[in-house]
Amino acid sequence: MNLELFIKFISVTLQKQITYRFDYFMGITNGFLYVFIFTSLWRALYSQTQIQSHSGFTLTAIITYAVMAMAVRIAFSMDDSAIYKRVQDGSVSMDLIRPVSFFLMNLSQSIGYSLFHTMARTMPIVVISVFLFDISIPFDPIRFIAFLLSAVMGYLILFMINFSVGLLAFWFVEIFPFMLLKYGFFTLFSGAIVPIDFFPGFLKVMAEILPFQYILYTPTVILMGRADMTAVPEMMAGQAVWLILMLLISRMMWIAGRSKLIVQGG
Amino acid sequence: MASSEPTIKAENLVKHFTVDKSGRGFLGSMKALFHRRKRLVKAVDAINFAIRQGEFVGYVGENGAGKSTTIKMLTGILVPTSGSASVNGIIPYENRKENAAKIGVVFGQRTQLWWDLPVRESFEMLRVIFRVPATEFHYSMGRLDKALDLEPLMEMPVRKLSLGQRMRCDIAAALIHRPKVLFLDEPAIGLDVLAKESIRNFLAEINREGGTTIILTTHDMNDIEQLCERLIILDDGKIIYDDETELLKKKFLNEKEVMVEFHENVENLQSLPGLSITREEGNKKWLTFDNNVSNTGELISLMAKHYKIKDLSVREPSVENIIRNIYDNRIALPKHDEPYGSGSKMEEKK
Repeated sequence: MNLELFIKFISVTLQKQITYRFDYFMGITNGFLYVFIFTSLWRALYSQTQIQSHSGFTLTAIITYAVMAMAVRIAFSMDDSAIYKRVQDGSVSMDLIRPVSFFLMNLSQSIGYSLFHTMARTMPIVVISVFLFDISIPFDPIRFIAFLLSAVMGYLILFMINFSVGLLAFWFVEIFPFMLLKYGFFTLFSGAIVPIDFFPGFLKVMAEILPFQYILYTPTVILMGRADMTAVPEMMAGQAVWLILMLLISRMMWIAGRSKLIVQGG
Repeated sequence: MASSEPTIKAENLVKHFTVDKSGRGFLGSMKALFHRRKRLVKAVDAINFAIRQGEFVGYVGENGAGKSTTIKMLTGILVPTSGSASVNGIIPYENRKENAAKIGVVFGQRTQLWWDLPVRESFEMLRVIFRVPATEFHYSMGRLDKALDLEPLMEMPVRKLSLGQRMRCDIAAALIHRPKVLFLDEPAIGLDVLAKESIRNFLAEINREGGTTIILTTHDMNDIEQLCERLIILDDGKIIYDDETELLKKKFLNEKEVMVEFHENVENLQSLPGLSITREEGNKKWLTFDNNVSNTGELISLMAKHYKIKDLSVREPSVENIIRNIYDNRIALPKHDEPYGSGSKMEEKK
């Protein structure tokens, strides 16, 4: 698949998202509501307990984390049931009769989807949050570049997890339980709600083993300056390892799944 | 491709599915949770055929006979359980993308256009996907527009097209890159008589002049009679006929069909040897008989003697009737001198 096509696929999905304007307004409201809930929760927690000394997050830091993790999470919005739906209604046939990589086609569509959410939801939420909350992000171009790189890797890891789970639809009629399981693991271990630093021993070990922390936690702590610049290369190396692992898993799932596919109806 | 190697080839091609048989209702699904009963479906059961470049082949069979499954294996969507297939010398399920670049596919029940985009932009997407050079693209579009009258549809979003309009666009979409092989899986859906006729002419033209190899699955036997020189009939995943379309008619030429409409409902019809009632509808009866045993004249005079006849017509056997009778096992296919292959013997039923 050449770049022209890749970009075309992105723009088609982007265009499609833009046509659903109602979703757009709902999306902003909903996203901001989450930011508001989490920041309020942290504020309440911090006024009551000694939580601060335990994790090393100041109130400003935890508010910054809550806002940025949510902003990144919204930017990483993906239609994770896309493959499942196309297998269910049989339209996956039409994807496969094209001389185009199934993986790259799904990736480009996912990027289109996420770009829309980045522009339409993440951007306004960040802008509003900067005015409303006490947020501190260090101004450091190198750090910002590291963040972007880390975010791209995190995005690709999440995409490939979704892709691999989606491919289970080639085996199973119903993949909702797998998606639920993935959602649960992602929500907890990515640090989307609580940063990994707060986790008790056993959960922390789990978080270290699983790939999810590399999706949200890593780019977020790099951006907000919580991760020391000297620790950044190691964190990004961890991401790179998972990137390669997920690439292999996606590839194996695709090869194994091909012969399992049954297309319903005509 | 002047070589003697066939353009499309299937050798002992097999596709089996396992389907879960879950019980009805909540209890049934709960049971299925612990104990799965699986049923093996032999969708395509060891078929063999070889299609040469420039052939126009009708691929027919009842719903569930395995037509679409065959097409899906030849287009690289499904991977066969066993056996092999090749298209343009490429194994479609191993080199899906390479194969896809050289074939055109229309699935009548689906669209390969972008639901939210205007038709023009869908074609533009396909131009990029199939890497069609701009000049060739304009040439193709011009030709397709002439044959399928696309211009009035170009600015409409695909979701607003009628079924027939969408079908025209989908046929065009499959031909933008001028494929050597065209698969048409029930493309007639939603087309009115006039549109059907112009599409038939166009398909005949690209087959005759462009040398495009075409496989057509359809329930419309007029399509088959007008377009397909060769006919492959599939039943229960097996090929039961693979020869010239004309030959099928010749084999059954001595079979005639008479439609008689009586003035009142006739219960016990006077019978002639070799006569059978194939269909009844009110006072109308469709009778087939073997012209070698009893002839049309005898039948008509017998009818006129005993009953008051309102209307009567004699028909030559149509491919549709022949095939319907084959499905219903009212007639057995005459034995061939040579078997077509291991998968093509007429199966004995009941």
